[in-house]
This record gives sequence, C-alpha cells and structure tokens, in this order.
Amino acid sequence: MIRVAAVGDIHLSPESAGALRPAFDTLGECADLLLLAGDLTRHGTVEEARVVAREVAGLPVPVVAVLGNHDYQSDLQDEVTAVLEEVGVTVLEGRGTVLRINGTRVGVAGTKGFGGGFAGRSGGEFGEPEMKAFVRYTRRCAEELAASLRSLREEDCAVRIALTHYSPVPDTLAGEPLEIYPFLGSYLLAEAVDDAGADLAVHGHAHMGSEHGMTGGGVRVRNVAQPVLGRAFAVYHLPVHTRPTSLVGGAATAGVG
Amino acid sequence: MSGADMAEYRIAHLRDRLASEDVAELGVRIEERGGSVMLYGTVSSAACRSEVLRIAREELTGLPLHEDLVVACADAPTHREELS
Repeated sequence: MIRVAAVGDIHLSPESAGALRPAFDTLGECADLLLLAGDLTRHGTVEEARVVAREVAGLPVPVVAVLGNHDYQSDLQDEVTAVLEEVGVTVLEGRGTVLRINGTRVGVAGTKGFGGGFAGRSGGEFGEPEMKAFVRYTRRCAEELAASLRSLREEDCAVRIALTHYSPVPDTLAGEPLEIYPFLGSYLLAEAVDDAGADLAVHGHAHMGSEHGMTGGGVRVRNVAQPVLGRAFAVYHLPVHTRPTSLVGGAATAGVG
Repeated sequence: MSGADMAEYRIAHLRDRLASEDVAELGVRIEERGGSVMLYGTVSSAACRSEVLRIAREELTGLPLHEDLVVACADAPTHREELS
C-alpha cells in the first residue's frame, strides 16, 4: 500500500510563510510522498516560490509538484521551477518521475493541463488563431500526460498517478458555477488518463468544487485544492496490484508500503 | 440603466480587481442576492480576507454587502481515505 499525501492551491506568499509547515512536519508519520497540485504561489514570483521552497524543504518524504495558473502569472514559471528544484522538489510538466517506495516503483505523470471544457460542452480547435491556440495547448498537455503515463508503465511502475492542476472531469467541479467549467478543466485530460491508464488522478484549481470524482474509464479523481479539503493535505491509501511486467516475463512482486 | 444592471457591472469590475490587484484572489463567489451582494468562499490567509473585504467595500460602495469568507484550514488531516 502506498500512502499519497496531496494538496493544491496553497497560494503561499511572504505573509503566509510557515502556515503549512507544522502540518507538513507530520508527513513522515502518515505518508510516503507529497503531491503538490499547482497554484503554490499567489503571483508566481521568485520571492513567493522561495516561501514555498522553505515550506517543503527537508521534508521526510519526496515532494512532486506541477505548477498552476497562478504560478505562471509573472511569466517566471521557469524560475519558480528552479527555486523549487533547488530544495529537491520534482516539478513535472509533460513528463513523469519514478519513486521507489518500500520496494515499489511509484510513477507520477504531471502536467499543469489547461481548460476547454467537458465532452459535449467544450471549445473546439476552430476559427480564430487564439481559439485554436487555446485548444491546441490543452491537447498538447493531454498528449504529454498520456505519453508520460505510458512511459511509466513501460518502466514497470506498479502504481501510477496523474497529477494536474486543471481538472480532468466535471464531477470534482460540483459547487462551481457551470458557466466557468470550460476554464476549470478539459475532458482531454481524462481521455488521456483513460487511454494510458492510472490508479489515481489528482488535481486542484477548483476552490469551490468537491473532492471526489471518477473518469469515464473508472479512474478515481480527487480535487485536492486546499479550500476543498479544509485541511493542510489529504492522504489516500493506494493498494499495490501485482501485474505482468512484460510479455515474456512473469509477474512483478509488488512491495507493501 | 437600472440599479440592478449597475450592480451587475460593479460586481464584474470587483472580480476583475480581485484578480488583477496584489491579492490575486480568483476563488471568491460574488453574487447578487435579495438586493444585496454576497461574498463567500475560502481564502488563503486572514490578511487576504481583509484585503478582499476592503476592495469589495470600496468597489460596491452604497450596496448592502454580506460576507461569509473563511480562511483555509492548515491543520494536519485526522483521517485518510482507503482506495481499493
């Protein structure tokens, strides 16, 4: 069993420095890794990124993050990423990472993702260049998410998690105004998760949404935006299923976390 | 232009200000309700809450204002979810 701690939308800035650290200091007792689902800062400045870095530096569990739209606000997403990576956070955008936890290979595929809406009520790649660019960007995020998840399967990960900021499903947006759903996520992300397979999809972004959802393919989705959770982070216990590692090999023996 | 229309535009302008000013708060619901304006949602800090209310009072001067803004809880979780 793998213990996954996750939170998004912590929106740290100098005024809130240290607010989450007491709770994060308990992670060693209750989790094997911490996922950060974007919107870690308020404006995406280097100063705010340093606050986030101090909040998670030296934690007893590995920290894997994606950025959110707030972290892009100052056009300094690369610098924000660098500040977080300096303290050992793995920041994903269009790629995956493999963690070895108690003998089990745990893969996390991450992208910020983007909007566009959900099946039957979504924007299309048509018309003005701005509209086409909008949808193409989401499509690229989704394609990279699927490719990362497939790559993690090839790397024999017994547990795979899709980490995004934007939502793959409308379920976890319940509580948000329907009119803004297209700005909160895209079905393309869910389609990617279902096509490539995952054990869990974690996202943030929708502060007024709800925690629980599922893709059409049956993958559990959790909205871990801190206002939704009402606590510093959530903890999910994921079972480790044994599965074949190759067409010619036997079954992998999954460790128990 | 009716008073209601003006309130609608002023609420839209308030949303713009909350997004573009230093507070950068996009997670607050702002709705007209019974002739007054209601602000609710969860913000990241007490200072953020004060700033949102200051801007709202400034932008919506003259309109009755009700608020139910809460600060995000930073406590460690007391339970976990078992996924099968």
